[in-house]
Amino acid sequence: MSLRTKLSGSKATSARGSLGADLSVAGVALAAAAALGNLVEEFTAFEWSLWAIQAILALSLVLIWGYGGIFSFGQAAVYGVGGYTYGFWAINFADNTGETLTAVAAAVAVGAAFAALLGYFMFYGDVTNVYVAIITLATSLVLFAFVNSTSGSQYRIGDAPFGGYNGMTRIPRLTWRLPGGAGHELTRVQFFVVCVAAGLLVAIGIRVFSRRPFGRIAVAMQHNELRTELTGYNVRALKLGLFTAGGAIAAFAGALFAAWGRFISPPVFSLTPAALVVIWVLVGSRSSVAGAFIGVLVVEGLSSWVGGADGSNEPIVLGAILIFIVGLLPGGVTANAASALASLSGRVAGRRTGPSAVADAPAAPSLQPATRLAPDWANGVDPKRPESKSRRSGPQRAESAPERSEPRIAARMVSKRFGGLTAVDGVDLEFPATGVSCLIGPNGAGKSTLFGLLSGQYPVSAGSVLLDGHDLTKWPPYRRARQGVGVKLQVASIYSELPVRENLWLACFAAPHDRAEADHRTEQLLAWLQFTGLAERPAGTLSHGQQQWLEMGMVVATSPRVVLLDEPSAGMTREETRRTGELVAQLGERSSVIVVEHDMEFVRQLGAPVTVLHRGRVFTRGSFEDLSRDERILDIYLGRE
Amino acid sequence: MAPDRLFNLGFDLFSGIAILLLVSVGLAVIFGMRGIINLAHGEFIMLGAFACLSGVRSGLNVWVAMLCATFVVGVFGIVLERLLIRRLYGRLFDTMLATWGVSLILVQVVDNHYGSVTEGIVVPVGSFTVGEFSMSTYNVILIAAAGAVTVGTFAILRKTRYGLLARAATQSPTMAEELGVNTSLVNMWTFGLGSALAGAAGALLAPVVGVIPTMGQVFVARSFMTVIVGGPSFIVGTVSASGMLGSVEFLATNRFTPVIGQAMLLTSAVVVLRFMPQGLTGRRGTR
Repeated sequence: MSLRTKLSGSKATSARGSLGADLSVAGVALAAAAALGNLVEEFTAFEWSLWAIQAILALSLVLIWGYGGIFSFGQAAVYGVGGYTYGFWAINFADNTGETLTAVAAAVAVGAAFAALLGYFMFYGDVTNVYVAIITLATSLVLFAFVNSTSGSQYRIGDAPFGGYNGMTRIPRLTWRLPGGAGHELTRVQFFVVCVAAGLLVAIGIRVFSRRPFGRIAVAMQHNELRTELTGYNVRALKLGLFTAGGAIAAFAGALFAAWGRFISPPVFSLTPAALVVIWVLVGSRSSVAGAFIGVLVVEGLSSWVGGADGSNEPIVLGAILIFIVGLLPGGVTANAASALASLSGRVAGRRTGPSAVADAPAAPSLQPATRLAPDWANGVDPKRPESKSRRSGPQRAESAPERSEPRIAARMVSKRFGGLTAVDGVDLEFPATGVSCLIGPNGAGKSTLFGLLSGQYPVSAGSVLLDGHDLTKWPPYRRARQGVGVKLQVASIYSELPVRENLWLACFAAPHDRAEADHRTEQLLAWLQFTGLAERPAGTLSHGQQQWLEMGMVVATSPRVVLLDEPSAGMTREETRRTGELVAQLGERSSVIVVEHDMEFVRQLGAPVTVLHRGRVFTRGSFEDLSRDERILDIYLGRE
Repeated sequence: MAPDRLFNLGFDLFSGIAILLLVSVGLAVIFGMRGIINLAHGEFIMLGAFACLSGVRSGLNVWVAMLCATFVVGVFGIVLERLLIRRLYGRLFDTMLATWGVSLILVQVVDNHYGSVTEGIVVPVGSFTVGEFSMSTYNVILIAAAGAVTVGTFAILRKTRYGLLARAATQSPTMAEELGVNTSLVNMWTFGLGSALAGAAGALLAPVVGVIPTMGQVFVARSFMTVIVGGPSFIVGTVSASGMLGSVEFLATNRFTPVIGQAMLLTSAVVVLRFMPQGLTGRRGTR
């Protein structure tokens, strides 16, 4: 590792903060809270506990929205589920066990399970983020209606009645018990300190998570879900995991709430609490854990001050805050949160230049074909990377180039229909283990759709896709990516808001799942792409050609066996195109590279076998020279038939 | 099952579907045409009901009051669009949050003004009997109104000049602008149309549901689920989704309780979306 890497590495670490720093801040905060709690009236401290509990609830939304980009209206509902679960468990078992900590655990478990079930249907159904918001809202309202209707005595679990509109009463307070000892009910001040400590712990947990690769991938997913999936990350599982964790945290807060007031009632599922959680997080900061605490204090203070003594005008205040925030932030709350995210991650350096820096950006670095263009590991022979570490579990990676006759990737009579339109119609193609192949055809010939079928973005309507003889037709894109199918999309699909370095790191981390190795590879790739000076810039500020190269670099980073390049030279200058051609040729030495291209000069330069697609079918195959003499192809391109 | 019983069940089923269609079609227009998540949709319905109620209280004929209510809510929608919504096109989450803010304010303002309890509206139509069952004539009107509103909306979007421009502005706003369409104005009318449809739904439902400030909550979730399950061809989609979800809700309500019916509606909607993420009229098999 170069000195430069070490420097930038340590810089990044210090800017992002460390666990030690977090712990000391939290320690001071806790000590201050404990001291304050003992100074003020017992009842005041008890009132403050509610704020700590609400901050935990807000943190649950920070986790899933701020880091995962999943906007949920349902956090308050899961909070309610946690509260009711605590009530049922504590009322039924506290007398026997002498403690209610198991009730808290039960609440967390039920809340997580509830979120997981809901999340499964939403995320594995691939519904969009907006629908997630609406489904969680609808779920809250149904729960509200259901719990409201449970006033009858038949609605009870054990000794605990639901209580319908009146809610569940006489819920035991938080009580702990040492083994063999008697139960000890927490005093009000103790409860306050416990709530603050719990809030700080959750906050630190989220901070730690955000620095882990998992957290970085979550942030990336929020910026570009498709690229994350095509890089080899299981986006659905990631979302489900986040949503479930968020549910557990919200339910934990709900349990504390039920223990605090000894009471929980249906309005917790109604719209106002659902709105409150969102507003806390909006007012604080969607992507910072401190924001959750600040948001709660500001909003609760404001709404009790303005909302009238009986709180009846609270909804008006809340509504006004919502409209105000949305209207006042011209870029939108989302955009502001994104910039906050960037600074949170300690990559202020790249952001400081900002998008306005595009104009005076340094000229595009030339992509000089070095003597050895791709680093060794890009070709799967990195000595630093023993095969045992590889997570590839399906088809065995070929150690040496297999015989020419064995196709690396093959489409067997694949078809794709979109409604009445047949975009790809029984295409039967195979590509060798190494070498470049070109795919040409007029617009609408089915080239990009065929790529979509190979990479898994679209399920096939008929036929199958084979990689080294293994059928991966039913595999989602991330599994194909892990097996070595890399794709560069027609419109460069990168993480525009994230720094160039982070873009490459995320791609490097996908294959070995090893942090140190990913750091190492990232530096290699930066040097190889001659992006070293641009490493901290947001990728969106790169020039068009640079963005294309960055995406190619990200594909290369996953050590693909098959590289699909959709119009790699589109929008490039002649010089850039020429260099891209050299890069493609280098890639073709070790992988099967398939290039879709309209630029015939580029195709000629590649000198690769060409397949012509027309109306979703293979029209003909041959060398560029053969095809350029074929009048029929000219007819196709000119629409003369 | 006796034929009269069967007729009664079918009649109730169609009434339920008609109500679902009525409360969804305005939302479908706004969401389908402009991609706006109007979380205040339920409150627009509520405003329609209260406007109708106020009209009747001030001595208007009930049918005239319903027409006025439709108009009033449409104008309200246009004003809101000019003041707030037009700044937020293309910012999906921001529109959602802003309209949510509007919804919270509307409920509280109406509550402060009218109180949370109110009398209903009496419609001068009676009932008719089939065999042993007595059925409300007003439900016939509701079913007819739902049909008329849907066909009318379809006709406006397909046959009028506004409809053509609105669809152009939906499909390619930039191109429409370049061809000289004032998309901003077209968007305003679209939002106004959707709002008026919500107002009409509220006015039509005022005689059969409790007119209270929080009544929007009852409708907002199910109308959203209906529109989402309907999918991109939003008129056809909303009709078919209303039919499907309305039947599920009706059967579950009939067999168990209204709450279970509501829960079943949501559950079946989520299950449908799990397997058809783009809704009933979406392209199958795409991701």
